[in-house]
Amino acid sequence: MNSQRNLSAFCVVFGVVFSLAYLLAVWKNYALFTYHPAIGAFAWGAEKAREGGPAMYWYGWIATAGIAGAGAGLIAAILPARYTLRLWSGLAWLAPLCAMVVFGYILRNYFLH
Amino acid sequence: MNPTILVILHALSAVALIGALTHQALAVWWSARQPVHFVQRFRAVPPAVYANAIVVLYLITFALGGWLYPDYRLNIRVVLEQMELPMANGSFELKEHFAVMGLSMLPAYWYFWRAPADQSHARTRAFLTALLAFIVWWNFLVGHVLNNIRGFGA
Repeated sequence: MNSQRNLSAFCVVFGVVFSLAYLLAVWKNYALFTYHPAIGAFAWGAEKAREGGPAMYWYGWIATAGIAGAGAGLIAAILPARYTLRLWSGLAWLAPLCAMVVFGYILRNYFLH
Repeated sequence: MNPTILVILHALSAVALIGALTHQALAVWWSARQPVHFVQRFRAVPPAVYANAIVVLYLITFALGGWLYPDYRLNIRVVLEQMELPMANGSFELKEHFAVMGLSMLPAYWYFWRAPADQSHARTRAFLTALLAFIVWWNFLVGHVLNNIRGFGA
Protein backbone atom coordinates (compact mmCIF):
# COMPACT_ATOMS: atom_id res chain seq x y z
CA MET A 1 0.00 0.00 0.00
CA ASN A 2 2.81 2.35 0.95
CA SER A 3 4.78 1.59 -2.20
CA GLN A 4 1.64 2.25 -4.27
CA ARG A 5 1.19 5.62 -2.59
CA ASN A 6 4.89 6.46 -3.08
CA LEU A 7 4.73 5.56 -6.76
CA SER A 8 1.54 7.57 -7.23
CA ALA A 9 3.10 10.62 -5.52
CA PHE A 10 6.25 10.28 -7.64
CA CYS A 11 4.31 10.07 -10.92
CA VAL A 12 2.03 13.03 -10.19
CA VAL A 13 4.75 15.31 -8.78
CA PHE A 14 7.15 14.34 -11.56
CA GLY A 15 4.56 15.37 -14.18
CA VAL A 16 3.78 18.68 -12.51
CA VAL A 17 7.36 19.73 -11.77
CA PHE A 18 8.75 18.46 -15.08
CA SER A 19 6.20 20.40 -17.15
CA LEU A 20 6.54 23.62 -15.14
CA ALA A 21 10.35 23.37 -14.96
CA TYR A 22 10.45 22.85 -18.73
CA LEU A 23 8.29 25.92 -19.26
CA LEU A 24 10.62 27.95 -17.03
CA ALA A 25 13.71 26.50 -18.74
CA VAL A 26 12.40 27.53 -22.17
CA TRP A 27 11.27 30.96 -20.98
CA LYS A 28 14.55 31.83 -19.19
CA ASN A 29 16.78 29.57 -21.30
CA TYR A 30 17.99 27.40 -18.42
CA ALA A 31 19.49 24.72 -20.63
CA LEU A 32 21.71 22.23 -18.83
CA PHE A 33 23.77 21.97 -22.00
CA THR A 34 23.84 23.23 -25.58
CA TYR A 35 24.26 21.19 -28.73
CA HIS A 36 25.89 22.69 -31.82
CA PRO A 37 24.63 20.43 -34.63
CA ALA A 38 26.76 21.89 -37.42
CA ILE A 39 29.98 20.84 -35.67
CA GLY A 40 28.54 18.05 -33.48
CA ALA A 41 29.75 19.69 -30.25
CA PHE A 42 28.22 19.91 -26.76
CA ALA A 43 28.81 22.64 -24.19
CA TRP A 44 27.65 23.06 -20.60
CA GLY A 45 24.89 25.59 -19.96
CA ALA A 46 23.20 27.83 -22.53
CA GLU A 47 25.90 28.82 -24.98
CA LYS A 48 25.43 31.18 -27.92
CA ALA A 49 25.61 29.88 -31.47
CA ARG A 50 29.11 29.27 -32.72
CA GLU A 51 30.24 30.40 -36.13
CA GLY A 52 28.82 28.43 -38.98
CA GLY A 53 25.74 26.97 -37.28
CA PRO A 54 22.88 27.35 -34.84
CA ALA A 55 22.78 26.35 -31.17
CA MET A 56 20.17 23.83 -29.98
CA TYR A 57 18.85 24.15 -26.43
CA TRP A 58 15.93 21.69 -26.60
CA TYR A 59 17.90 18.70 -25.26
CA GLY A 60 19.33 20.88 -22.49
CA TRP A 61 15.87 22.14 -21.49
CA ILE A 62 14.62 18.54 -21.27
CA ALA A 63 17.63 17.58 -19.12
CA THR A 64 17.04 20.54 -16.77
CA ALA A 65 13.34 19.71 -16.42
CA GLY A 66 14.05 15.98 -16.08
CA ILE A 67 16.41 16.53 -13.15
CA ALA A 68 13.94 18.91 -11.46
CA GLY A 69 11.00 16.53 -12.04
CA ALA A 70 12.84 13.41 -10.90
CA GLY A 71 14.23 15.18 -7.83
CA ALA A 72 10.86 16.56 -6.77
CA GLY A 73 9.18 13.21 -7.50
CA LEU A 74 11.67 11.33 -5.33
CA ILE A 75 11.20 13.81 -2.48
CA ALA A 76 7.41 13.40 -2.75
CA ALA A 77 7.79 9.62 -2.73
CA ILE A 78 9.77 9.58 0.54
CA LEU A 79 7.70 12.19 2.34
CA PRO A 80 5.37 10.94 5.11
CA ALA A 81 1.92 9.96 3.84
CA ARG A 82 0.19 12.91 5.50
CA TYR A 83 1.86 15.30 3.02
CA THR A 84 0.92 13.48 -0.17
CA LEU A 85 -2.30 11.64 0.70
CA ARG A 86 -4.49 14.49 -0.50
CA LEU A 87 -2.45 15.18 -3.64
CA TRP A 88 -4.97 15.55 -6.49
CA SER A 89 -4.09 13.15 -9.31
CA GLY A 90 -5.64 15.53 -11.86
CA LEU A 91 -2.59 17.79 -11.51
CA ALA A 92 -0.77 15.25 -13.69
CA TRP A 93 -2.72 16.47 -16.74
CA LEU A 94 -3.68 19.98 -15.61
CA ALA A 95 -0.11 21.26 -15.21
CA PRO A 96 1.03 20.12 -18.70
CA LEU A 97 -2.21 21.49 -20.19
CA CYS A 98 -1.59 24.91 -18.60
CA ALA A 99 2.01 24.85 -19.82
CA MET A 100 0.79 24.07 -23.37
CA VAL A 101 -1.55 27.07 -23.25
CA VAL A 102 1.36 29.28 -22.14
CA PHE A 103 3.51 27.94 -24.98
CA GLY A 104 0.72 28.85 -27.39
CA TYR A 105 0.74 32.38 -25.97
CA ILE A 106 4.55 32.69 -26.06
CA LEU A 107 4.63 31.57 -29.70
CA ARG A 108 1.55 33.53 -30.83
CA ASN A 109 3.55 35.88 -33.06
CA TYR A 110 4.31 33.03 -35.45
CA PHE A 111 0.57 32.78 -36.15
CA LEU A 112 -0.51 36.42 -36.01
CA HIS A 113 1.66 37.79 -38.85
CA MET B 1 21.76 6.70 -40.18
CA ASN B 2 20.24 8.21 -43.31
CA PRO B 3 17.73 10.93 -42.31
CA THR B 4 15.19 9.71 -44.87
CA ILE B 5 15.18 6.24 -43.29
CA LEU B 6 14.92 7.83 -39.84
CA VAL B 7 11.97 10.02 -40.82
CA ILE B 8 10.17 7.00 -42.28
CA LEU B 9 10.73 5.03 -39.05
CA HIS B 10 9.59 8.07 -37.04
CA ALA B 11 6.42 8.28 -39.14
CA LEU B 12 5.71 4.54 -38.91
CA SER B 13 6.00 4.50 -35.12
CA ALA B 14 3.81 7.62 -35.00
CA VAL B 15 1.15 5.87 -37.10
CA ALA B 16 1.11 2.90 -34.70
CA LEU B 17 0.96 5.30 -31.73
CA ILE B 18 -1.86 7.37 -33.19
CA GLY B 19 -3.87 4.21 -33.91
CA ALA B 20 -3.47 2.86 -30.39
CA LEU B 21 -4.19 6.20 -28.71
CA THR B 22 -7.23 6.93 -30.87
CA HIS B 23 -8.67 3.49 -30.08
CA GLN B 24 -8.09 4.08 -26.38
CA ALA B 25 -9.37 7.67 -26.28
CA LEU B 26 -12.59 6.78 -28.13
CA ALA B 27 -13.12 3.70 -25.97
CA VAL B 28 -12.77 5.88 -22.85
CA TRP B 29 -14.79 8.91 -23.95
CA TRP B 30 -17.33 7.36 -26.34
CA SER B 31 -17.50 3.65 -25.61
CA ALA B 32 -19.82 1.37 -27.55
CA ARG B 33 -21.49 -1.49 -25.66
CA GLN B 34 -23.04 -3.41 -28.52
CA PRO B 35 -20.84 -2.83 -31.54
CA VAL B 36 -22.51 -3.35 -34.89
CA HIS B 37 -20.77 -1.24 -37.53
CA PHE B 38 -17.11 -0.33 -38.06
CA VAL B 39 -17.00 2.88 -35.98
CA GLN B 40 -18.73 1.19 -33.04
CA ARG B 41 -16.28 -1.71 -33.21
CA PHE B 42 -13.42 0.82 -33.25
CA ARG B 43 -14.78 2.26 -29.99
CA ALA B 44 -15.62 -1.07 -28.34
CA VAL B 45 -12.05 -2.12 -27.51
CA PRO B 46 -10.86 -2.66 -23.90
CA PRO B 47 -8.79 0.55 -23.46
CA ALA B 48 -6.40 -0.71 -20.79
CA VAL B 49 -4.70 -3.20 -23.10
CA TYR B 50 -3.18 -0.36 -25.13
CA ALA B 51 -1.49 1.47 -22.25
CA ASN B 52 1.91 -0.26 -22.16
CA ALA B 53 2.19 -0.29 -25.96
CA ILE B 54 1.38 3.44 -26.01
CA VAL B 55 4.13 4.20 -23.47
CA VAL B 56 6.71 2.21 -25.47
CA LEU B 57 5.61 3.66 -28.82
CA TYR B 58 5.65 7.20 -27.42
CA LEU B 59 9.22 6.75 -26.17
CA ILE B 60 10.36 5.26 -29.50
CA THR B 61 8.66 8.01 -31.52
CA PHE B 62 10.07 10.70 -29.22
CA ALA B 63 13.60 9.28 -29.41
CA LEU B 64 13.48 9.06 -33.21
CA GLY B 65 12.19 12.64 -33.39
CA GLY B 66 14.98 13.79 -31.10
CA TRP B 67 17.52 12.00 -33.26
CA LEU B 68 16.15 13.69 -36.39
CA TYR B 69 15.93 17.16 -34.86
CA PRO B 70 19.50 18.34 -35.73
CA ASP B 71 18.84 17.53 -39.40
CA TYR B 72 15.63 19.54 -39.25
CA ARG B 73 17.41 22.43 -37.53
CA LEU B 74 20.21 22.55 -40.09
CA ASN B 75 18.43 21.74 -43.33
CA ILE B 76 14.70 22.42 -43.00
CA ARG B 77 14.09 25.27 -40.59
CA VAL B 78 16.46 27.62 -42.43
CA VAL B 79 14.59 26.97 -45.68
CA LEU B 80 11.21 27.57 -44.01
CA GLU B 81 12.51 30.93 -42.77
CA GLN B 82 13.79 31.79 -46.26
CA MET B 83 10.38 30.82 -47.69
CA GLU B 84 8.77 33.15 -45.12
CA LEU B 85 6.54 30.47 -43.58
CA PRO B 86 6.32 31.58 -39.93
CA MET B 87 3.20 29.50 -39.29
CA ALA B 88 5.04 26.33 -40.32
CA ASN B 89 7.96 27.23 -38.04
CA GLY B 90 5.64 28.12 -35.17
CA SER B 91 3.74 24.86 -35.58
CA PHE B 92 6.99 22.96 -35.27
CA GLU B 93 7.99 24.97 -32.18
CA LEU B 94 4.67 23.93 -30.61
CA LYS B 95 5.26 20.34 -31.72
CA GLU B 96 8.61 20.14 -29.90
CA HIS B 97 7.16 21.62 -26.69
CA PHE B 98 3.96 19.55 -26.82
CA ALA B 99 6.04 16.39 -27.28
CA VAL B 100 7.90 17.18 -24.05
CA MET B 101 4.61 17.83 -22.25
CA GLY B 102 3.49 14.36 -23.35
CA LEU B 103 6.72 12.95 -21.97
CA SER B 104 6.06 14.62 -18.61
CA MET B 105 2.64 12.92 -18.39
CA LEU B 106 3.88 9.46 -19.32
CA PRO B 107 4.71 8.13 -15.80
CA ALA B 108 1.31 9.24 -14.45
CA TYR B 109 -0.44 7.87 -17.57
CA TRP B 110 1.30 4.50 -17.09
CA TYR B 111 0.60 4.46 -13.36
CA PHE B 112 -3.13 5.22 -13.55
CA TRP B 113 -3.69 2.73 -16.37
CA ARG B 114 -2.14 -0.09 -14.24
CA ALA B 115 -5.42 -0.40 -12.33
CA PRO B 116 -8.17 0.39 -14.85
CA ALA B 117 -10.86 -0.94 -12.49
CA ASP B 118 -10.03 1.76 -9.91
CA GLN B 119 -12.90 4.21 -10.49
CA SER B 120 -11.44 6.84 -8.14
CA HIS B 121 -8.93 7.79 -10.88
CA ALA B 122 -11.17 7.22 -13.91
CA ARG B 123 -11.39 10.94 -14.71
CA THR B 124 -7.61 11.41 -14.41
CA ARG B 125 -7.09 8.45 -16.78
CA ALA B 126 -9.58 9.90 -19.25
CA PHE B 127 -8.01 13.36 -19.29
CA LEU B 128 -4.44 12.02 -19.49
CA THR B 129 -5.50 9.89 -22.46
CA ALA B 130 -7.32 12.77 -24.18
CA LEU B 131 -4.42 15.19 -23.78
CA LEU B 132 -1.90 12.62 -24.96
CA ALA B 133 -4.12 11.87 -27.98
CA PHE B 134 -4.35 15.59 -28.80
CA ILE B 135 -0.55 15.95 -28.59
CA VAL B 136 0.08 12.94 -30.80
CA TRP B 137 -2.49 14.07 -33.39
CA TRP B 138 -1.09 17.62 -33.44
CA ASN B 139 2.49 16.41 -33.77
CA PHE B 140 1.60 13.88 -36.43
CA LEU B 141 -0.25 16.43 -38.60
CA VAL B 142 2.43 19.11 -38.19
CA GLY B 143 5.18 16.63 -39.02
CA HIS B 144 3.24 15.44 -42.05
CA VAL B 145 2.64 18.97 -43.37
CA LEU B 146 6.27 20.01 -42.80
CA ASN B 147 7.45 16.92 -44.61
CA ASN B 148 5.20 17.88 -47.51
CA ILE B 149 6.63 21.42 -47.56
CA ARG B 150 10.24 20.34 -47.35
CA GLY B 151 10.76 16.61 -47.03
CA PHE B 152 14.15 15.18 -46.21
CA GLY B 153 16.25 14.72 -49.29
CA ALA B 154 14.29 17.44 -51.12
